[in-house]
Amino acid sequence: MIHREKKINSVRIPSEFGEGGIEIALGQLQEAVVMRDCQGVKKLTERMVTAGVDLFKILNQGLIPGMLEASERFRKGKFFIPELLMSSRALKIGLNILRPLIQEIRKDVLGKVVIGTVKFDLHDIGKNLVIILLEGNGFEIIDLGIDVSPEKFVTALEKNEAQILAMSSLLTSTMSWMKFTIELLHASGMHRRVKTMVGGAPVTPIFAKNIGADAYCREATSAPAEAKRLLGI
Amino acid sequence: MDELSLKNTFKKAYHPKLLVLACAVLEREISKFQNGQVKFKFFDYGLHRTPENMSKALQVEIDQASEEDYDGIILGYGLCSNGIVGIHSQKKRLIIPRIHDCISLFLGSPESYHEQAKQHPGTYYLTPGWIEKGETPISKFNSYAQSYDEETARWVLHEEMKNYTRILLINTGVCEIEPYQKIARQNAEFLDISYQEVHGSRGLFRALVNGPWEKDFLIIERGHSIQQEMFLDL
Repeated sequence: MIHREKKINSVRIPSEFGEGGIEIALGQLQEAVVMRDCQGVKKLTERMVTAGVDLFKILNQGLIPGMLEASERFRKGKFFIPELLMSSRALKIGLNILRPLIQEIRKDVLGKVVIGTVKFDLHDIGKNLVIILLEGNGFEIIDLGIDVSPEKFVTALEKNEAQILAMSSLLTSTMSWMKFTIELLHASGMHRRVKTMVGGAPVTPIFAKNIGADAYCREATSAPAEAKRLLGI
Repeated sequence: MDELSLKNTFKKAYHPKLLVLACAVLEREISKFQNGQVKFKFFDYGLHRTPENMSKALQVEIDQASEEDYDGIILGYGLCSNGIVGIHSQKKRLIIPRIHDCISLFLGSPESYHEQAKQHPGTYYLTPGWIEKGETPISKFNSYAQSYDEETARWVLHEEMKNYTRILLINTGVCEIEPYQKIARQNAEFLDISYQEVHGSRGLFRALVNGPWEKDFLIIERGHSIQQEMFLDL
């Protein structure tokens, strides 16, 4: 027993959690996000950070799968807007603990993302969730808010020298503005240095492909991985 | 000439036998156009929140109706967040308004909806039907406050509604509007946003049930399925 603890300490696996304990704690963290338990998320994240658990493990195997599960429940009609928002709030508490620590390790930001909800659309619950997730992962975000015109997107990309344009829409009646924005990006020649990613409930992989988007996110939680893929990280 | 084309040609003289599958929120308006040859079936208005369940529920009904002697099946739906994508029938033609959601129906045309949305993107639309179904900010708040504490309910409602700037009550003239005006105004006051009213139209409802199915409609031939692209102006 003593020998085993020594061995664990030597690879920086915390004795507090014991063998398999980290997996159990990560499962609890997932569950705390799903169950909108802000206090639980705070305590578990802090405990794991203090114990030296890998920050990206806490993020990618605890917080994000928890949010993914909440999003799936929303999609299936088991969760409604309050539950989705409250899970996002719990997730944010965990990410706010991790973010400064991740920044210390990384120093540089992973990349700059200009993000917004497209023209004539004012739905931002999903977009704001993507922001929390991308920031938590070390991206710098320029949030243009809602009802963003193609011109405003392109101007912001240029001004901030961003590498990624992320667009969201919740309405089938507004999703065509993603296409118009990508067209303007091409017309301005900026498509050569800016990658585009799109998402939102009505957006499908076929639509994303047809309008020439570089990445499609089925749910907010896939945004960090897609953004990293686009930048070859 | 088949029966649906006949219907378009002799629309006053001949009523084909049609099945109308529609969202319950349209019931008041669409039921006005019963001509004796139409069977209406209404579905839970909440299906728009779970598009996958919407298409499943409608497909079951369409498959059952395939064995009956209907000349066609009318869908009282729009694209509704892709809720009708994939729907098909091997034996019957499907007719559907080429609109994004029911607001075009209440306002009378996709153009009027576009105009409203363009002028005020932050519009929360209400109709007597939507008010009756409890889809108002106040009803939502009350339901949130039943599940959670009041502070949480307020926070959720704020997050959900913070970008809305106007409540627009659409009066389609199917019922006494005063009680609904009162509720719609109370909701605008509750959110501290502006309140307006507009006269809707029953023209699209009429055309949906009685034809002619022209530019604002899609006719889906047997064996074909409804696709998102059919509704988009790209």
